[in-house]
Amino acid sequence: MSARTATAQHLLRPETLARLANLDLVARAVVTGFLTGMHRSPFFGFSQEFREYRAYSEGDDPRFVDWNVYARTERTYIKRYIGETNTRLVVLLDASASMGFGSGSVTKLQYAKFLAATLAYLAARQHDAVGLIVFDDKVREHRPASSRAGRLSGVLHAIDRATPGAGTDLEMPFERFREIEKGRGLVAVISDFYCEPEALLKSVRPLAYQGQDVILFQLLDPQELSPVLKESALLEDMETGEAMEVSPIYMSSLYRQRIEAHVAALKKAALGAGADHQLVDITEPLDDVLRKYLLFRQRRG
Amino acid sequence: MTLLAPAFLLGILAIGLPIWLHRLSSDNPNRQRFSSLMFLEPGEPRRVLAKKLQYLLLLALRIGVLALLVLAFAQPAFWRGAQAGDGEAARLHVIVLDRSASMNYGDRWERARDAALDVIDSLQSDDRGQLVVAGRIVEVLAAPTDDAAVLRQALGVAEPGVFRIDYGQLMRALDGILRSSELAVVLDLVTDTQQSSLPTRFAELAPRRAAEIRIHDVARGPAANWAVDSFGGSALTGELEASVRSFADEPVEKTLSLELNGSIVDQQPLTIPAGGRGQARFAALELAPGSNRVTVSLAPSDDLAADDQRFLALKRPQPRSVLVVSSEPEGRGALYTSSAIETLATLALNAQTSGPSGLTDRPLAQYSFIVVTDAGTLSDSDGAVLTDYVEAGGGLLLALGQRSSGLTRVPVSGQTLRASPVAVARAGTSAAIGELDGTHPALRGVDELRAAKFYRYLGVDPAPEDRVLISLDDGTPLLIERTLSAGRVLLFTSSLDREWNDLPVQPVFVPFIAGLANHLLGGAGFISEAELGSTLAVRALGLQGGQIFDPQGEKALGLSGGTDDVLLDQLGFYEVVGGGASELVAVNFDPRESDLTLIDTATVERWQGLGVRAADQTTNSAATAVEDASAPSPLGPWLLIVLLLIAVVESWVGNWHLRIRRGIAA
Repeated sequence: MSARTATAQHLLRPETLARLANLDLVARAVVTGFLTGMHRSPFFGFSQEFREYRAYSEGDDPRFVDWNVYARTERTYIKRYIGETNTRLVVLLDASASMGFGSGSVTKLQYAKFLAATLAYLAARQHDAVGLIVFDDKVREHRPASSRAGRLSGVLHAIDRATPGAGTDLEMPFERFREIEKGRGLVAVISDFYCEPEALLKSVRPLAYQGQDVILFQLLDPQELSPVLKESALLEDMETGEAMEVSPIYMSSLYRQRIEAHVAALKKAALGAGADHQLVDITEPLDDVLRKYLLFRQRRG
Repeated sequence: MTLLAPAFLLGILAIGLPIWLHRLSSDNPNRQRFSSLMFLEPGEPRRVLAKKLQYLLLLALRIGVLALLVLAFAQPAFWRGAQAGDGEAARLHVIVLDRSASMNYGDRWERARDAALDVIDSLQSDDRGQLVVAGRIVEVLAAPTDDAAVLRQALGVAEPGVFRIDYGQLMRALDGILRSSELAVVLDLVTDTQQSSLPTRFAELAPRRAAEIRIHDVARGPAANWAVDSFGGSALTGELEASVRSFADEPVEKTLSLELNGSIVDQQPLTIPAGGRGQARFAALELAPGSNRVTVSLAPSDDLAADDQRFLALKRPQPRSVLVVSSEPEGRGALYTSSAIETLATLALNAQTSGPSGLTDRPLAQYSFIVVTDAGTLSDSDGAVLTDYVEAGGGLLLALGQRSSGLTRVPVSGQTLRASPVAVARAGTSAAIGELDGTHPALRGVDELRAAKFYRYLGVDPAPEDRVLISLDDGTPLLIERTLSAGRVLLFTSSLDREWNDLPVQPVFVPFIAGLANHLLGGAGFISEAELGSTLAVRALGLQGGQIFDPQGEKALGLSGGTDDVLLDQLGFYEVVGGGASELVAVNFDPRESDLTLIDTATVERWQGLGVRAADQTTNSAATAVEDASAPSPLGPWLLIVLLLIAVVESWVGNWHLRIRRGIAA
């Protein structure tokens, strides 16, 4: 690994990103660092090589109109480049109270915001339309997918405003998505998925039928995956406020089995609904997650 | 306000319990936020002692309940002075002179008289005085009067006694005197404030009618005293022991003298440690026939001479003969029975064994009682002779045996025997004692009889006049008592050898025979010692005709006189003469009076605090109004009402907290 690559990966660590005040800056740093680190990777479609002309249609960015062709033919055409898939990405960001949990310097919600911003930035860079739904037990923010100039800024600001809210309800954001986003595209759901696998299946399956490519990022803290308690503790649910006395023995044995079973059940449910499921440890650098995302995109064409 | 039982205030320490409980918390101080409880299971709640108290209102209510409960036990009371007097109103001074035995100590009695005279001299012109002496009972020597001369004259005849005083009983006895007064009362108690005279409950010292209590202590500090507190021994051997108790701070050398019927027979030097006991053992005495007066005396005498002596009436038991009739005088039945009888040293019995032949020619009257080991060996003439003997006042123990199998009726007592032959317990089994009349004097302390096994016995149908003392577990009577004129027969329906039972080889056999023998001899015998102040019940003595003489030799009461009881109010020997016999009863000093330890000053002050100043007492002439207005009002009932209310609120608040903890909507 070269020094340049190492520096880039260091920049992608969540605790490093957390020091950056601006989410826009975070997204740029991640994408730039990621691209820098994978110059030998097979994902070369991000170049700006000309591919074809296409007749301008309403909704296209006027910046890409080829004025030379217009001068000659008085017709408006836009240039298309290799790597530009002309798809859209809608990010569903869970901002429930449980997402405020974090045993280290970064909470799950912070990590989710980094990831959402990075995905949005990456999509905008490819001139894809970007949309956003922020939800907890209701839809708190909705930005319909669009590739117009300034859309990314609006999406990033919406992501930045997200704070831990109330409980989680997956059904409502998915329903809202189905009502508004009629076309095909990518749907990235970022959540800790404290829900029953059947409920997830019920929410995701209609999207698959609609032709959406769905990827689920399940964000969990290490203390949720492999909790360590020195003595019995009174654990308070961040969503409901309920408290429960638990023993260290339970947390180190039966709890781990249960959370592992839950993750496995979610993965199975996602597969059953035609979606992709990625478990993300929020202490991981973001490049791993991006790599999984790009592989997912590549698979889905 | 005052507390009648302040010791109960210690119960206030119980408040620590709710405080501790309210610090006890099941809330784990290690509280952490967690994303979801979805996969958690509750563990065992941990009890921790929190720094902060919880449920303060509930705690306050519980502390209130405990505090009121403690206060209720402490018996708070206040005197309701109806009208404040002007202090110069006329008063009745009830001068109570303690004439208990301890007042004989040194010059206490002279000081007590001086103190009483001082009170008499201090009477105001409108005041009245009353003189009372208190010992075993309270006696009024002078009724309420404004004439000091009368009081002085009455005081002149008062003398200290030999009885013990109890301050609690004294206050109760004074109630009548205090209640009858229409004036404000000052109770002047002239006493030596002896601690052993205090009642068990301090509250008993409170007068039931408002009175000012003034205690005139004539003891003047601690006093040294030595007392002979026990004296006893064996009448059979004449060996005696005495112990002397010290109520002094210094050890002392004294001499104990033993006097027998007026003559000194032994003297022993004795070292008595400070606050301890010295003991002396005397060589065997040669007791004279009949009752003996034995006295032990401590020399030199101290300031309380009455407890330096102790008296003991000893009577050497007279040898008596018992006839054991057996078909085999050398057989086991006769052997076991006569051996057991002769073992009873305190009864001094001499057993003579004989066959049934020639029974008619024997002078049976010389025997204290007769034992027949097998009733089947008696002829009709033998039975007739024995019947005459019993009816003349004799005692007969009649056992059955192998030869009784053919009988249809029991000789002498006449009960019907059930179908012959012998009722035999089932093969390989045995019968045991079923019911035993433990109230019968012959059967005290013989519960171990239940360990004996009975293999054979004869069924006897008891007559209505019979008393079944022991039955076997199948209901068959084992020991029956029948009274014939002046005598009695005890019928034992099994044998006295080992053929029909294993009783003779049981340890309880000797006590069993002893009980029967004592009963056949006519009871436990004469009471030789009685408590000072008790009465001698003439009927219990069993002596017909005669007289009782007090320790001074004066005739106390003719037994044929109108009254049946004699009050034992002197120390020494009372002699009961009657029926050709003479018996002695020793009466000794009450050892509680020997302990001259004084009541501490604080307690004396609290006792005086139970009274009400004369100036605060009502002077209403109507006695009932006086009583109503100034009677002590106990606060207990009010406290209990408040306690009940708080307890109800506590229950409600506690239940409310419980509903919240359980998550039930209130």
